[in-house]
Amino acid sequence: MPEGTLCNKQPINTDEQLKLVLNDKGGKQYYAEMEQLDVDTEKLWNTIQKTMKSRLKTWLEICAHCGLCSESCFLYQVNGRKPEQVPSYKIQSTLGEIVKKKGQVSNEFMRHCMDVAWSWCTCCNRCGQFCPHGIDMGVMFSYLRGLLYSQGFVPWELKIGSGMHRVYRAQMDVTTEDWVETCEWMAEENEEEWPGLEIPVDKEGADIMYTCNAREPKHYPEDLAEAAILFHVAGENWTVPSEGWEQTSLSMFAGDWECCKDNVENVYAAIERLKPKRAIGTECGHAHRATVIEGPYWVGREDGQPPVPFMHYVEWLLEALETGKIKIDPAKRIKEPVTLQDSCNYVRNQGLKNVTRKIIEYIVEPGYFREMAPNKEYNYCCGGGGGFNGIGKYRPQRNVALLKKLQQIQDTGAKLVIAPCHNCWDAIRDLEEEYEIGIRWSFLKPLVINMMIVPDHLKPEE
Amino acid sequence: MSKKILLATTGSPASFGAARVAFQMAKRYGSEIIVFHVIGLPTKAYSQIVHDVRTGDEVQVDDDYKSWVEDELRNTYARQIEEAEGGVSFVLTTGVPHREILRTARSEDVDLIIMGASSGSIDHIDYKGYTGSTLQKVAKAAKCPVMTVHRESAAYRGGFNHVLFCTDFSKQANHAFKYALNTARECDCDMTMFHALDVGGKVLAQNEIEDRLIEARKRMRSLYGSQMGDFKNYDVEAWEGIPYMEIVKLARERMADLIVMAHHAGESDSDEARLGSTLEQVILRASCPVVSVNKPDKV
Ligand code: SF4
Ligand code: SF4
Ligand code: SF4
Repeated sequence: MPEGTLCNKQPINTDEQLKLVLNDKGGKQYYAEMEQLDVDTEKLWNTIQKTMKSRLKTWLEICAHCGLCSESCFLYQVNGRKPEQVPSYKIQSTLGEIVKKKGQVSNEFMRHCMDVAWSWCTCCNRCGQFCPHGIDMGVMFSYLRGLLYSQGFVPWELKIGSGMHRVYRAQMDVTTEDWVETCEWMAEENEEEWPGLEIPVDKEGADIMYTCNAREPKHYPEDLAEAAILFHVAGENWTVPSEGWEQTSLSMFAGDWECCKDNVENVYAAIERLKPKRAIGTECGHAHRATVIEGPYWVGREDGQPPVPFMHYVEWLLEALETGKIKIDPAKRIKEPVTLQDSCNYVRNQGLKNVTRKIIEYIVEPGYFREMAPNKEYNYCCGGGGGFNGIGKYRPQRNVALLKKLQQIQDTGAKLVIAPCHNCWDAIRDLEEEYEIGIRWSFLKPLVINMMIVPDHLKPEE
Repeated sequence: MSKKILLATTGSPASFGAARVAFQMAKRYGSEIIVFHVIGLPTKAYSQIVHDVRTGDEVQVDDDYKSWVEDELRNTYARQIEEAEGGVSFVLTTGVPHREILRTARSEDVDLIIMGASSGSIDHIDYKGYTGSTLQKVAKAAKCPVMTVHRESAAYRGGFNHVLFCTDFSKQANHAFKYALNTARECDCDMTMFHALDVGGKVLAQNEIEDRLIEARKRMRSLYGSQMGDFKNYDVEAWEGIPYMEIVKLARERMADLIVMAHHAGESDSDEARLGSTLEQVILRASCPVVSVNKPDKV
């Protein structure tokens, strides 16, 4: 069978197809069909010739097999330091083989590549810092994922994930209506406690356009309310767009390059329509990477920048603290051992390491902050990055991957982990669920709300 | 009386009492019931897998699974559904329980939320039942009154005969008063207005206590008495003690079958709140349903 009804080379573009794939329990039929899927070897080789840039080619060729990258990879460490988990081996034995064989590979081999690409590497880019040649497996695996996606060899959840982006323009089935409704709901629910609180939709020319992660309106609308409260207290002139509010990109994890571009265009179109002075994205690492760090290149912006300055939430928060727009009550600062999860996506990939630490100085009583080791740009992936968290098929492997973070957290002795990245937050929560080590985890927004000084004129009467 | 009731159920025996009250109210007053159930919390990022709140198993929620759960609930309440006059519908979803309860209450514009409250210590990730903090969050944000039935024995035995309204004189207590009065009127029953003078941890001279109690009775008479209109079946009480204990004691003494009180946001930090607040202590100990009111909208 060349193409299955659920598993095939076509992206999901319609609601019907999405529902069809979704209703396949755990992807049973999907993975069964995948075993029969033909590899279009000619197309595969053509794609490689057209898309594989000289950097990747060089990397494949110059790897000295010195193994200096092995210890850098947390998956190598937690999987018994098996040679198969050495970063260079992982890529040479997959992408390297496909290139060597000029695309002439079997279905079985492609399925093996899928396992490696999505469960042996989280694209955390850590190894790239240790290779003397600067070879970055994260980048190469992202490329491999794209090849696999185009041939239909992609985990079920990620096929659905990028399908959701294509159909709903959000990683979840949150429609424009649902989104606008949620904004109204959250403003309404909090207006009594925060008189004058608004979540303005589609206001033109505001100072800030705020974008978020679809998980927020879907399951945690408090997060949106909390952003609103902080902007309100800081006195910001802000807005959210009715369309183009979702800045995550599961398509980036899926390797759906075309959809990645569409996601970013959607956000940028909102910027162009509403003309804000700048944009701020929520506490999500990969959303930031997709919209701000890689996004400009996907849509071909020559300056490599979004249409207006686009900050990650931690940058805005620090600015608000430094300018005194938000003031912290020192009596309410965190007075227990607390640690910080550095997100690969905005720390390693954008260097925002000092920003979060300066925020910590404001909100944690001196002496209580405990660094993980290693930290900052050398921090390890949370264990669930690159889509790993969401893939049912690789759940056991993901649970093993969490062990590194578990160790790091336990070594700090902290019971509270600040995780200003949605996916890290999820991984740390799952970690607690799986191993019950007695920790709590939090985004920055609720912590700051609980400890800020609210000016009298913003308090409710009575 | 409440025209549209949201029955938030975990489907477990812990919520049978709540279901019984809801269905009896529906039968008596012809209310419409929405049986609401959160199947599980999607813990796995964007994956389709959730932990079923009843079984704890990892399941994939799709239309098949939902209709299977709905059938289970229909069987659980089969007899009651048959007798319900105003219609019964089902809403099944996944998500964080308090959020989804509030979401549905808002979109369906319900007049009353009825839920069980498990005394289970904390809500862990599996959401085994609706615990203290779920209740706190619902009670805090709901626009309509929230009725809680902690145990089967607290379930309504057919009609309300005596409403106990407890006040701390807050703004929210005014809304609660309106709800209590409307209920007492519509059910043609007695009502006791009560203030418990909190002496927990304080040392007050006996005559000071007496003075404050007299003051509280006066305050209730003038504040609420003026709103009674032609409603006559009420009396006023004020006792000193630890509020929740006094409320429960008085409810037992008067054989109250409904306690109405305010829930105010300030009462406790909703995330920290477990079973510490007056409201929750009353819920856990009362032998009748407890209604909490926080907003004026649906009283
Ligand atoms: S990118 Fe991260 S997970 Fe992948 S091989 Fe390198 S260190 Fe390992
Ligand atoms: S460190 Fe670099 S050169 Fe050495 S094996 Fe790893 S990828 Fe190859
Ligand atoms: S989820 Fe966070 S830690 Fe994990 S890979 Fe992504 S950014 Fe890194």
